[in-house]
Amino acid sequence: MQESPLDALMARLQSGDREAFAGVFELLWPPVQRLCRSLVQNEADAADAAQEALVKILQRASDYDRTRPALPWALAIAGWECRTLLRKRTRRREVDVAIDERGGQHPEEAFAQQDLARAALEALGQLSETDRETLVATFWDEATSASGPTLRKRRERALDRLRKAWKKVYGLD
Amino acid sequence: MASTDLAALERRARRGYELARVRQALLGVAPLLFIVPLAACMTHRPGATVALGVGAFALGAILLWYGRDPQKAVLPGVAAGLVPLTMALCANHMHYCGPDGCTSLCVPACTVGGVLAGLVVAWVGQKRRAGPWYWLSAGALALLTGAMGCSCIGYGGIVGLGVGFGVGLVPILLSRRRPEPPNPA
Repeated sequence: MQESPLDALMARLQSGDREAFAGVFELLWPPVQRLCRSLVQNEADAADAAQEALVKILQRASDYDRTRPALPWALAIAGWECRTLLRKRTRRREVDVAIDERGGQHPEEAFAQQDLARAALEALGQLSETDRETLVATFWDEATSASGPTLRKRRERALDRLRKAWKKVYGLD
Repeated sequence: MASTDLAALERRARRGYELARVRQALLGVAPLLFIVPLAACMTHRPGATVALGVGAFALGAILLWYGRDPQKAVLPGVAAGLVPLTMALCANHMHYCGPDGCTSLCVPACTVGGVLAGLVVAWVGQKRRAGPWYWLSAGALALLTGAMGCSCIGYGGIVGLGVGFGVGLVPILLSRRRPEPPNPA
């Protein structure tokens, strides 16, 4: 099998001849770019993938087996890089969709919200049946046995007791 | 893709290439990190052994990073140097006692080890038809590695190692210079 100019340059680079570096770079950039364009449909992602791939290929130049053709070896690394980038992008898109489904809330915020709700329910559990009924009726607009000034008074007392219960459980206002 | 800054990309790729070579070079000479402390524990002059070992480690790493002909000298150089090193470390615990008193076997062990190391380096160089960089690099590494053990009784052991190494190279260097016999046809 005849040795291509890329094979010869790659073999020189593998053995440490830095003068072959520019030649390898120039010969590899167009095919790597073309491969990434065909594998990654998005133009910007393809550019990122091609750059990463070329850096990886040249990082691994010392591992190149000079008995084998250089281009398939280099394109295998580039293909792997493109697939890795595609996998990352897909995963990120899945996370974005999940965030959108939660109404655009960030996972951390959602977690903090859940934590707060759990804490509130625990403090609520310390109150009497009447207090709980009053607070639920206040915040969820549900019907209650009392109305008018009686309800207002009960709400005031229930909130006060909830505040005390919260302070007792978590030590803060 | 036309907006890609190729000069910046080439610089980044070059940096990656050099860093990968440095990493590989350090991995390549990593066995010396085990050999040097072991030799230092067995010798009477651990300071000199460690200093020579650090020199051998640095030289090996530089040769492997640089590549080309000198990198091919690292394995034969270190392997050849292990012969006088082992012999000197063994000789550290032996001595010859005659009618005039006892003498250390360090210098004879280093000289014989040097001859063997020279033969190994020369044999590999001859087989590979190596250039001058190989002879220089392999010789320096073999001497540094061997000297880790040969500093046992001062510089005498190291001189013995150097003389022995030179003697070991001679037969093969002479056979290289011998002219081809004329073809009878």
